[in-house]
Amino acid sequence: MLNYTNVITEKKTYSGLQMDEIKPVMKLIIRGKKREFLSAIGKSLNLLLPTSANTSSKSEKLSALWLSPDEWMIYSNEISSPNNNHYETENLLNKNICKTNLGAVTDVTDQFVLINMRGDKIFDLLETGSPFNFNNFREKKGAVTQTILAKIDVIIHNQNQNEVNLFVRRSFSQHLFSWMNDSASRL
Amino acid sequence: MFLIDCPYCGEREQSEFKAGGEAHIVRPKQPTELSDDEWAEYLFMRKNIKGIQFERWIHIHGCRKWFNVARDTSNDVIKVVYKMGEKPPTI
Ligand SMILES: [Zn+2]
Repeated sequence: MLNYTNVITEKKTYSGLQMDEIKPVMKLIIRGKKREFLSAIGKSLNLLLPTSANTSSKSEKLSALWLSPDEWMIYSNEISSPNNNHYETENLLNKNICKTNLGAVTDVTDQFVLINMRGDKIFDLLETGSPFNFNNFREKKGAVTQTILAKIDVIIHNQNQNEVNLFVRRSFSQHLFSWMNDSASRL
Repeated sequence: MFLIDCPYCGEREQSEFKAGGEAHIVRPKQPTELSDDEWAEYLFMRKNIKGIQFERWIHIHGCRKWFNVARDTSNDVIKVVYKMGEKPPTI
């Protein structure tokens, strides 16, 4: 997380909805299939990877999102130092997962932008631009989905009642955020 | 528009998916031994039937996994969804 141009510069507030970028947050994509992979991750991070679809798990420091039967995203719950992009977790996983050929670990910290949404209008906004059915999702703390929002691929993590983390690829983030603001102003 | 039951993520809207054409077309083991006509047959010829067709689909905006679908092409009713590598069910 060094010297990149910020695309989302300000916090936006609407009635029942606030949105801003949270950074720097470490994000890793991990992939693997073997049982040993799952247990090695569990031991290394003290965090069990969620194996049922559309769910997540959480430890004190990290959240793990189910993306696919062999793919997860891990991100830090707290923001990390803006002055370096070496992450303890990544080093640890490189040692325990990559070097032992159990799976793959990719640093996507700078690839994904994390937009934090708060308020009771979150799902009213998401519903204006996504084909996903949020009816059950909104009630389920920890629920995760990958879907499209305004034709852009996003990962949505239902953090809490009235709090959602949305991940979008950096090159799409400025456009998506401006679309979200436009949509929010019409709710 | 219709819903597709992704074998990994559950029911999602069609726009999250991409169609990958007819399923269960086996690549010839020795392409070099085939005549041009036989190769063209493998490469280009598809059944394109009206009725139940076995197709490949990918959940491109979701889990990015391929799977098979038996779809009635006349009314878009999906009869069965089954994973890659599985034999087509009898319908
Ligand atoms: Zn899926």
